[in-house]
Amino acid sequence: MLTRTTPTLSDGTPIGELVRPDTREVELRVLSDREIYDLEMEKVFGKTWLFLGHQSEIPNAGDFVMRDMGNDSVIVARDRDGSIHVSLNVCPHRGMRVCLTDAGNTPVHKCIYHGWAFKPNGDFVGSPVAEEKMHGEILPKSELGLRKARVHNYHGLIFATWNIDGPSFDDFLGEMKWYYDMIFNRTKGGWEVLGPPQRFIVDANWKAAGEQSAADGFHTLTLHRWLDEMFSNGGSELTSTMYGVEVGSDHGHALRCQSLSKKFARAKDFDNGTLSFEERWNILPAPGCTPDMIDEVRANLTPEQLEQLMTNPPQVGGMFPNVLLACIYAPQPDGRILGSMALHAYIPRGPDKLEFVNWVFCESGTPEADKAIMLKNTIFMLGTSGLVEQDDSDTWPHMTISARGAQGKKMTMKYQAINANPPPANWRGPARVYDGFTKDDTQWNWWMYWRELMTAAD
Amino acid sequence: MDADVALTVAPTETDERTAPAPRKILMGTELYGRIAEAYFEEAATLDALKYAEWVEWLAKDIAYTCPQRMTRHLKDQAKSIDRRVMHFDENFNTLSARVKRLRGISAFAEDPPSRTRRLITNIRIQETDEPGTYAVRSYFLLSRSRFENATLMLMSGERLDVIRAIGDRFELAKREIILDQAVLGMPNLAVFL
Repeated sequence: MLTRTTPTLSDGTPIGELVRPDTREVELRVLSDREIYDLEMEKVFGKTWLFLGHQSEIPNAGDFVMRDMGNDSVIVARDRDGSIHVSLNVCPHRGMRVCLTDAGNTPVHKCIYHGWAFKPNGDFVGSPVAEEKMHGEILPKSELGLRKARVHNYHGLIFATWNIDGPSFDDFLGEMKWYYDMIFNRTKGGWEVLGPPQRFIVDANWKAAGEQSAADGFHTLTLHRWLDEMFSNGGSELTSTMYGVEVGSDHGHALRCQSLSKKFARAKDFDNGTLSFEERWNILPAPGCTPDMIDEVRANLTPEQLEQLMTNPPQVGGMFPNVLLACIYAPQPDGRILGSMALHAYIPRGPDKLEFVNWVFCESGTPEADKAIMLKNTIFMLGTSGLVEQDDSDTWPHMTISARGAQGKKMTMKYQAINANPPPANWRGPARVYDGFTKDDTQWNWWMYWRELMTAAD
Repeated sequence: MDADVALTVAPTETDERTAPAPRKILMGTELYGRIAEAYFEEAATLDALKYAEWVEWLAKDIAYTCPQRMTRHLKDQAKSIDRRVMHFDENFNTLSARVKRLRGISAFAEDPPSRTRRLITNIRIQETDEPGTYAVRSYFLLSRSRFENATLMLMSGERLDVIRAIGDRFELAKREIILDQAVLGMPNLAVFL
């Protein structure tokens, strides 16, 4: 039995020993064990900030979407005053799910079972036949509302947590905020969602996908080598993109900042100080931006952030625990380079099942014609039918199968490729900085934070 | 794009009063039989992994899309099909690129390949305003077996196609795949529908 004071599994294994700092190994059983999964729902998904969607999905008063925080369904709704609320989708009366549709608009969420009704902010409105007092007189109305999560709107991205008195969202992002701001807060209008997210089930533990999003560069070289086979002329384009700077934090967040001068011929002089910001931006704006956004970007970011966007912009990575971020370049037949921008959430659906949720974005100031191109590009490369990610989603199930074996679950995942380089001399950003060829450090940080949460006292 | 679209492409009552209904190609006619045969051939070609042959059946101006399905209340059923972020949004070039990848040595999502059966039924055919061009609706059930998993992955839906007669054969000019699942039960669409 799990005890509150010593986080130990029922077979006597201390949780902390599943992640071994001395050799940088993680026991494979973490990808299949029901007991670990159940504990994660409390200690990880019950504690951290979780990504739920974007404000542009619910633009009007009364708009709502049904989403998930760990293995709990929640309602994300916009109130009449424009504020966004996240409520547990469980009727406080008898436990029926109050919301049954993926999206919609309603001023009142009414449970179909016995008729208890709630405002978009979760407050209890009443029950049918008021004078007969279905909801009794023992509890005041103020205690009969939907359970409310704590919400943070990060430049339009909606996050929520059950950790009501826990760290602020900014504390959660920590020093990594400096980098995320370069992506999510670089233009006046910010990001906008291009439609509802794609959703599909993968028979894999959520952490198989989660740890990869902590900037696993190496897998690209092998699993995605078709990119080289189809698009490069004999040489390895992929190997060159393994260089750059990986940044990460003690909270498991991670981003791969790839070197533009190594990746694009047109950017070969971007590092040597001969070109102004404006000259470089016009040659190659940040992925997903168009050249005319230059004034907005200048207004929103510091000179140090602008310099990084023109040398080593963050392009792929994630946010602990279950978000993947892609903000990548999408070269066009006409010579322009647009962007492909997506966020994924990997929703836990059991120890051996996850739901892959894929939102596609663009900068809200993007011309409509370019939005359409970017959307097609993203569908082509990422998500359900995406040529890159269809290989990932067929790989994670095999790791989960391995983790079920009596011997297999005693094997370990290894994160022993260690970056020993100092940060680049001219590096301007904070957080943990890993210069050079991709290594395992950011993923290792991810596991160390998982371990910290899983072994924390309540 | 507007998500508020009709569930079907069938003519509305208003259309029927103002315009002659498109003529149905009835089951049992020679033309129906030839078109049905083309659909069975397509299914067999894909199930046999003959991707290059499949591309030959695609028109150069093909639009191949697969909208998302959403769980919505009855009054909002038109919004149950959402054509903004789709599962497929393809033209001839992107479909050809997908096939090129599948025929390479590192398309691991389908290598080793799934064992599939595409069961095509309920074929209904109408003439269109364009001579030799037909609107074809069909139901499909795709079963997909991968590795040692004894449970078949299934996908069902309807396809709204436009095909063109080219001499004695047909080409696929348009396909919209209407799935039945809001959350897909397979890890990717590395297979064509």
